[in-house]
Amino acid sequence: MTMISPLQNIHSEGSYGNFENKTENELLKISELKNLLIVQIVQYKNSSIKINDIKLNNLQFVNEAQKVVANENLRILWNSPNNWLVVSKKKELLSEILKNFNDSDFAVTDLSHSKAIIEIEGPNVKEVLKKGCPFNFNIFSKNMCINSSYNGISFLVDMVEDDPEKARIFSLRSFGESMYHSITDASLEYGYKCI
Amino acid sequence: MLYINCPHCGLRSQNEFAYGGDATVKRPELNKEISDQEWDNFVYLRKSPRGKHLELWHHISGCRQWIKVERDTSTHEIFKTYKANEAIE
Repeated sequence: MTMISPLQNIHSEGSYGNFENKTENELLKISELKNLLIVQIVQYKNSSIKINDIKLNNLQFVNEAQKVVANENLRILWNSPNNWLVVSKKKELLSEILKNFNDSDFAVTDLSHSKAIIEIEGPNVKEVLKKGCPFNFNIFSKNMCINSSYNGISFLVDMVEDDPEKARIFSLRSFGESMYHSITDASLEYGYKCI
Repeated sequence: MLYINCPHCGLRSQNEFAYGGDATVKRPELNKEISDQEWDNFVYLRKSPRGKHLELWHHISGCRQWIKVERDTSTHEIFKTYKANEAIE
């Protein structure tokens, strides 16, 4: 299958906004993440399996709000009660997921091609997020994720790093360009570099 | 703007929620013979109280769960929120 990036018509390399007289470290860095494996796992209501007993790539699933469990290969994001999003650069994990999660207890859906993912890194990431989202980002830290809306667009934010701040923004593929526009617009004030 | 304490996610802005109507309305029992009037009442008839009101809200941009919210319709004060299947004290 040909991989067509959701942001290929809008994302182009360069420096934008208030970037003059600023060092590289002072600028926000915005990039598009492609080729990620994104799998949604939902546990059925009538399932009696304890989710804490299930491990994937040595990571334990946790049913705790806003919690992300992660290692270098994989991030497991809490989406809602009994609903997780598994994100990885290793595409071969899909077969392991399908092996661990039987279809009588879990609904496993590959969403890899239905999301646009923007990665934003730098000193003002939370300020950019605050501009369009009503969530209190002062309490948001590494390995937390939230579902919310940004200028009316539903999105998911995954905080990957604290210092420097680095977040992944997931939106529906069809809203990708609008989301990208909103994020870059909010970043102009700080100056940003598209990579 | 209201802030609603989602029992699953915590305190969130009203922007993330959609109002779902009166939470006290009960659907007629399945397979029970009911009159057109009773059915009509279930579908259309709603109270419009001034004061405490139990409402359904959908956390549509968050965890996508339905919740119950006890809210004062005149002051908008929110007293308590419940999971959809939670018993109400």
